This record gives sequence, C-alpha cells and structure tokens, in this order.
Amino acid sequence: MRDTPNFAGWTVTILHREDSNTERLIRQLRLLGLRPSVQWKPIEAAGLPDMVIVDADQGFDDLLPWRGSNPAMPVAALLGSEAPGRIAWALEQGASAIIAKPVSASSVYPALVMALSIHEERKAAAEKMQYLEERVRLRPLVHAAVERIAERHKVDEERAYTILRQSAMRRRLTMEQLAAFILGGAEPLPEAG
Amino acid sequence: MHDAIKIGILYSTTGPYAAMGRDARDGAQLAIDELGAAGKLIEPVFIDPHADIAAYLEAARHMLRDAGCRHIVGTITSAARKEVIPLVEKYDGLLWYMCPYEGFEANENVVYIGGCPNQHLLPFFEYLLPRYGSRPYLVGANYVWGWEMNRLARELITNAGGTVLGERYLPLEETAVERIVTDIEQRRPSFILNNLIGPSSYAFLEAIRKLGERDQAFLPANCPVASCDLMECELEDIRPGAAVGQLCAASYFDSLGSAENDAFKARVQARDGASRRVSSLFASAYTAVKLCAEAIVAAGSDEPQLVRRELHAHPWPSLLGPLSIDASTNHAALPFHLGRINAENGFDVIASRPPLAADPYLTGKRSHHAPKLRVVS
Repeated sequence: MRDTPNFAGWTVTILHREDSNTERLIRQLRLLGLRPSVQWKPIEAAGLPDMVIVDADQGFDDLLPWRGSNPAMPVAALLGSEAPGRIAWALEQGASAIIAKPVSASSVYPALVMALSIHEERKAAAEKMQYLEERVRLRPLVHAAVERIAERHKVDEERAYTILRQSAMRRRLTMEQLAAFILGGAEPLPEAG
Repeated sequence: MHDAIKIGILYSTTGPYAAMGRDARDGAQLAIDELGAAGKLIEPVFIDPHADIAAYLEAARHMLRDAGCRHIVGTITSAARKEVIPLVEKYDGLLWYMCPYEGFEANENVVYIGGCPNQHLLPFFEYLLPRYGSRPYLVGANYVWGWEMNRLARELITNAGGTVLGERYLPLEETAVERIVTDIEQRRPSFILNNLIGPSSYAFLEAIRKLGERDQAFLPANCPVASCDLMECELEDIRPGAAVGQLCAASYFDSLGSAENDAFKARVQARDGASRRVSSLFASAYTAVKLCAEAIVAAGSDEPQLVRRELHAHPWPSLLGPLSIDASTNHAALPFHLGRINAENGFDVIASRPPLAADPYLTGKRSHHAPKLRVVS
C-alpha cells in the first residue's frame, strides 16, 4: 500500500502568466503545504524547485532547463487546449499529469500525486535500464572469463560459469565486474570450489 | 436585510439512509424556525432526492438556477457531495456540508463543518492504540468513505508498528455479516474499526455482541467496535443492548453537558416532546443553517465571496462551542468527543479534546522533506 502523499514544504514553480487560474492553483497548493511561486520566464538551472507546473497552452521550449522528456523533477502541465500539438509539447517536457483549465480545486492534488508517482516510476525504470544495458554490454567479458576458467580447471562451460558466479557472489561483485578484473589480470582465476 | 434569505435544504428523507436525512432536515427546520422567530426570515427550498444521485443533481440545479438559492445546506454521502459541487461552482454558490467525511478535499465553494480524519480518526486511534493494542480488524461500507477511512487506518497502524489483521467490505444495506464475524473470531484482533453504515452496521454490531456472549474476548471492554459514523438517531434501530459498551467518535453528542447544549435540548424537547434525542446530524444541520443565515446577515448579502469573508473573520458562537472556519481550507475547527454507548440508547462521553483545526490533506502530521533533486543531464 502507498503512504498518503504529502507535499508539505515542497517548492513548486508555476510557469504561467498570472490570472484567475494561477490564483486558484496557488490557493490550493498552499493549503496542500507547498510553497508556490509564479513566473513567466525560463527556470534557471541553478536553484530548481521540487516540482514544476507549466502552461502547455502557451509554453515554449526554453521555459524548462532540460531537453527531452527526462525532467529532473515531477512536471504537471496546465492545459486548456485540446490541440494535439500542445499535448505533445507537454509530453516533450516530461509532464506526467495534466491539470485542466479552468483549474478546479479538486483537480490539483490528484495531478500532483500522479505527476510525482509517474516521475518516480520513470526514474526507477531508467536506472534499471541503465544497469541492464551495462550488464549486456559487458557480457562478452563474462564469456571470455568463463572460457579461461574452463580451460584452466578442465571443466565444461556450465561448471566454469558456476565457479565465476559463486566467486562473484562471495566477493559481492557482479559477474561482469569480476570477469573484467580477471581478464585484466587484476584478479587471479577463482579456484574451483 | 429585509428580504427572506433563500437556502436550499438537500437531504434524502426517503431511501436507504432516510433516518439520517430526516434527522438532518429536522435540525435544519428547527434553525429556520428559531431564526424566523428572531426576525431573520428564511425561505427554505426543501428537496428530497431519495438517495438517487441523478436526483441530487436535478435538485441542486433547481435550487441554484430556478429557485434563486446561492446557498445549499445538505448532502450526507460523499458521492452526493461530489455530484453537487460542480454545479455549486458553476453558479458560484456555497454548499454547507455538515457530515464527518474522509477528507482530501477543500473547495472554495464548500463550507465543511462535519470534520475530516485528523479531527475524528486520528484522535480516536491515539485513544485506542495504547489501550487495546495495534492489531485491529477493519470493516467498511464498499464505497469511498469505507475505503479511505480504512486506508488511513492501515497507514496509521503500519506507522505505529502494528498489523491489520483483516479488512473487509460490505455493499450498502448488506446485512449478511456472518463470514466477516467468523473471520474476526479466528483472527482475534485487538479492536475493530467499523466504517459500515446503516443496516450493515447494525447487523454487524448485533453479531459481534453474540460473539462476545460466546467468547468474552470479544466483549466491548476487551475488543471494542470503534465507529466514526454512528449516531443517536440510529441506536434505536439496533437490537436493544446489542451495541452497549461500543465506542464512537463525534464532534457532538446529545449527552454533552455544556450550557449551550442543555438550553438547546430544552428547546428541542419543548418542540418535539421529551423523548426526542438530538443526534450529531441534527445538531450539525442546525448549526449549518444557523451559521449560514448569520453570516449572510452579517455580510449584508448572500454573495458567497462576502459571506466567506464574514465567516472567516471571527469565531461564531454555536451549539458545538465557538466555531472558527479556516480561511484557507474552509473547514471548521471541531472538538473531539469519544462516546460509549449506554443502555439507554445514548452515549456517555468518556473523553474530549478542545477544537482541532482541520487538516484535510493531512499535511501537518508528518514533516516531509522533499529530496533535493539535481539535474541529470
């Protein structure tokens, strides 16, 4: 089960021209415990807020200090338009929730929760992907190390693989790391155990 | 102001939770009568939507668009409130909601005087956990009230290092509680949180009483059934004696010993007879209508913006004590009372706390520091 999301103390930058929408939004954000500020100029890369809410109706590319849909913090888009181009722009900024205009009080908290939750999921998925890519990239090293162990200990590949795996576990290394050390000569060949 | 103040009174006085609707309507009527006698003429528009969600919408539309009401006192369930709110926003009116609810809402066009979880569930658990333990069983009606109250309860229990031994739901009006009670008997919780409503709740309390007669571990003194939504007007619908000893949280009980309450009960009984009990619904509907009319008179207009400003300006004397409405959340600060059901179909107040400010999004209870995020290029 998920804990009740709590935004108390979070800073949020609203990228939108001040109007009745931002007024209602600010009221709701404040009572949720956030510290909102409104601006209609690009965010500085230094001193980023904890969350960004951006006007996707009028938004332009330099408003947000990142490129592509991997934002540094959760992003929600304010959207009145239904034009596919504006929805696409919101997605390109990495928005993971939409607050429809005119802003209604009940739409704000759910959007923040969605934006945060999806942002965290994406971050976790990206990290996992990076880890797996690294392992795939290093796979040839594992293969080479297995061959060398098989040769030395006169065992079949399956047995050599087990030796490498067990040794890596004992050393608290990934197989890829240990294989790289062995091939580089930084580690002796593991004993058959 | 010379014209009568128009107020829509929106309660289902027929249908599955009619007993509650009638009690609330009676409370509203008493306030209207008293205001009239004091020279503040109210022109109420009563509509009974028969617990039908579509009818709530029609009724609210009629009140706001055709009947000239800017203010509606009413709705009991969250489903009905959520249905009515968009219309109230559209016509820029004010909805005066006076039931305890599950929180996570704060609308500018709604005044909340019924209490959210930090005003009922949280102090209730602060009382229950040290006394009975942190291994409860959760039951609830199968809709947002039951779900959300039990979700919060689970979070509170988990944070306290306890374990939820079971969580079960019943459809509204379902009275077949045997399987749940059998499960409770096997799991042996330290207390039971009851978020069932109406007939389900009554059947459940009766079944737990029978279980307690077989096995005293389930008597109220050992494993109480704790409710946040059981009222005086319902106790007569429960088999005599079946609920005695069980616990309930509310911001008002008929048995409160305050001077305001004594005077209030005397007026109610003078009108309705000595046997009339005042439920928290009756009291809160009365309070809502009174507050609404007084704030309109003070504002000199029924324009919601002016009424809100007046409302937030200072505490209002009320049956529940001085009532402060927070300007940012539009929620009332409310006292917490814990009642134990007695053999006379009433509640003995066994613990009380002074008014607690509402925290509808539970932002203040736990401090949360967002991780400082860095740009990952």
